[in-house]
Amino acid sequence: MPLVVALLSAPAAAAFGMLRPAGAAPVGAAFCALAFGATLWGFASGGGAVDVAWAPSWDLRLHLELDGLAALYALLATGVGFAVLVYSSRYLPLHLEHQDRPLSDGTSFYFFVLLFMGSMVGLAMAQDLILVFVFWDLTAIASYYLIGFDSHDPDSRASALMALLVTGVTAVLLLIGAVMLYAAHGTFSIPELAGRVEPGPLLTTAGLLIAVAGLAKSAQVPFHFWLPRAMAAPTPVSAYLHSAAMVAAGVLLLGRLYPLLQKSDVLLDVLLVVGSLSMAVGGVLALTRDVLKQLLAYSTVSQYGYVVVMYGLGGEYGAVGASFYVLVHALCKSALFLSAGTVTEATGSDRLSGLGGLYRSMPLLAVGSGVAAAGLAALPLTAGFFKDELFFAAALERGPVFAGLAVFGAALTFAYTWRFWGGIFLGTSDAEADRTSGVLVLPVVALGGLTLLGGIFVGPYLGLALAAGSDSLRAPADVVAAYHLDARPENLMALATYGLGVAIVLSRPLWSGAAGALSRLGERAGPERLYGMGLRGLNGLSDRAHRAEARDLRSRVAAILLPGGILAGAGILVTPTGGTYRVGTVEAGDIPLLLALVPVAVAALTTTFTKRHVTLALVLSSAGFVLALVYAFFGAPDVALVAVLVETVLTLLFLGTLRLIPYEVLHRQAGLPTEKRPRKVFFAAVAGASTFAVVWATLSRPAPERSVAEEHLKRTPEAHAGDAVTAILADFRGLDTLGEISVVALVLLAVLTLLRGGRLR
Amino acid sequence: MILILSLVIAVIFGSGAFLILQRDLFRVVVGIVLISNAANLFIISAGLTRGEPPIYPLPEGAPVADPLVQAMALTAIVISSSVAALLLSLVYRLYVAHDSVDIEDVSAAEAREAEALERGENPEREEEPRESPADVELREDTR
Repeated sequence: MPLVVALLSAPAAAAFGMLRPAGAAPVGAAFCALAFGATLWGFASGGGAVDVAWAPSWDLRLHLELDGLAALYALLATGVGFAVLVYSSRYLPLHLEHQDRPLSDGTSFYFFVLLFMGSMVGLAMAQDLILVFVFWDLTAIASYYLIGFDSHDPDSRASALMALLVTGVTAVLLLIGAVMLYAAHGTFSIPELAGRVEPGPLLTTAGLLIAVAGLAKSAQVPFHFWLPRAMAAPTPVSAYLHSAAMVAAGVLLLGRLYPLLQKSDVLLDVLLVVGSLSMAVGGVLALTRDVLKQLLAYSTVSQYGYVVVMYGLGGEYGAVGASFYVLVHALCKSALFLSAGTVTEATGSDRLSGLGGLYRSMPLLAVGSGVAAAGLAALPLTAGFFKDELFFAAALERGPVFAGLAVFGAALTFAYTWRFWGGIFLGTSDAEADRTSGVLVLPVVALGGLTLLGGIFVGPYLGLALAAGSDSLRAPADVVAAYHLDARPENLMALATYGLGVAIVLSRPLWSGAAGALSRLGERAGPERLYGMGLRGLNGLSDRAHRAEARDLRSRVAAILLPGGILAGAGILVTPTGGTYRVGTVEAGDIPLLLALVPVAVAALTTTFTKRHVTLALVLSSAGFVLALVYAFFGAPDVALVAVLVETVLTLLFLGTLRLIPYEVLHRQAGLPTEKRPRKVFFAAVAGASTFAVVWATLSRPAPERSVAEEHLKRTPEAHAGDAVTAILADFRGLDTLGEISVVALVLLAVLTLLRGGRLR
Repeated sequence: MILILSLVIAVIFGSGAFLILQRDLFRVVVGIVLISNAANLFIISAGLTRGEPPIYPLPEGAPVADPLVQAMALTAIVISSSVAALLLSLVYRLYVAHDSVDIEDVSAAEAREAEALERGENPEREEEPRESPADVELREDTR
């Protein structure tokens, strides 16, 4: 039911947008709210499942279920989607106005945002790997159009292509992994697979392929480069993409397949390593960026690194913590993105260095995004505090090394979040802020309020995360999150984090050079460069192949004849044919046939060295007429008659064409030196030899006992015909003849068009 | 008989293959016609029985030629002749456009056109048929 509403919303908004461009946003937002309500109601009333056989012969099922994990992501997709749509109803007209584009361009924006939302809800609920793959690619397609929304900008188009390629190519790995699992266990259904898989190389390989797809979508190192580039999208899209869709889809996949993944220690270790790397790289790079959205993009890389690490750490704290983290992060990050958009809209600057001191002119926005920032930095009294508490608890379970890593990562988060918020709202600057519409501020405040609410009444949030976590674990999870005013390790780690974070902020001059060097190193030798090289290489290869294939007809023909001949020859060589070749016998009755065959072969050979075109046409037609004689000797008078007729027409056609083309032009051709003759003779010889082998092998086969021809012969009188061939053509295989007649009709039309056009204009 | 038939078919096919590798488009068409001839002969000779024509009244006791392959060969002959007609009119069309039936000339013109497209020029204007005075005279003469 929520899925139906969510999937319906995109066409509905598009239809309204076509009628009135201004109508798309409210309708879309209304549908969003409806889908949110439906999800909430559906989950509160105990979920629900649809399980319909879709393609039973392939074991494909349309299996959707609104379980805890699905509810969490569906609520995020619809809820944040609602906030984003409300925000864009004001932001998008301004955005289009800046670029001198008509308001109606916005309709496609709403369509794709809602399609994005619908496919995200579907992805959350899908319980079948093929269904997951379908929704997975739908999100990629929607994101392609959204990132490339400013389609006049080549940079924007390149970014969209990059996002599509990185996530699309890795999606194929997901499909391969799914098929591997299917081949081994006979089902695509995730719950059934969870019960059947055994740890082993197969699970590791398939799981790794699927995990790579998820990690690429979540922009983890080394696939992180597409995410900052995707900032070319309008700000609401960035907010949505980062918090509740696309990037979240990656960790959703990990959570959905966690029952499978957790059976392999190798996979969990891979998740740990990749997550920690992303945490560190994303965090450090976020500290170096000046453009607001770039900073937030790298922060997303780092934040999803946390989630991946938590899945890698495993256990109750890991699985529940990961879900809780995604929830809180979505609220905070979308609020921060939206405030970045508002600030840029109000001041015209999208860089930290051009901003500052805005708390005076935009107090409400400062408070709203301040709460969200506090949530991201895990300050007490916000939901964010508990996300770090769970994170620390999960790390502590594994050992002090991980605890240290966790503190370091959290401190990085603290530092760049401070840099973002403090850089915009604190300090002094001459940045002037225009008055902004309340619609651009309210969603931020609402999202910030939700973060704050979670810090005081953590119950509902944690309940959702618990439900999601137990779906990932396939076991009931029981984790408590509350404030404890004692010196337990989690609290000490939080304090250490704040301290370290402040230290990082204060010691900026000490490390900014090193961080800048790292960022430059990433640009020089990072995976983005590899991507660019790969893309250029593929493009060049395709160009070369095109040139080699399409520029010259003869090399193309030779490229078919030679490998074709070699392949046919090889096929005959490896097939055991010993003793099957028969020379056959020549009987007295065959003598005329033999005498007719010889001139055909001689005429064919003659065509190869005839110079003058008229002679060539006559030799060809003589070969055709003698061939008609051969047919007659084969006992085929019908074929012989038709061959004579056709050959006459063809001879006239050839001569007529020669008459149309001036003698001079043809003479130039006839006098040409035959260059590269040995090579052509070689190609022709290969083709002829393989034809010989194939024909001889075929004709040597002994005739089967019964032939369909007997039946044809027997039934000819029933078809009121005297000639069996006629009966076959007109009756038994009439459809073939119909096809033949249509070919002739088409050719007639084509010839008429070609000849009547005269000179090309 | 089998061996001889196979050899003849191979010779026709090989000659056709040699011709379609030529740069003269007219020869290419001749080559394609030859290859279809080889295919037709192959179909006919693949008949399971040889003998009297399969026309009623059927001769008592004597073998009757396989009618199925004959029907197929008929279809094939008609289609290959249509294809030949189409190819011939294409050759004529190419001559009209490029004043040549040489594939090298046509390829070169195509390459020029592609380059012009890449430079952003309008290739249509460059491809006006260039006709030398001698050609015009010649055509007047032949009429």
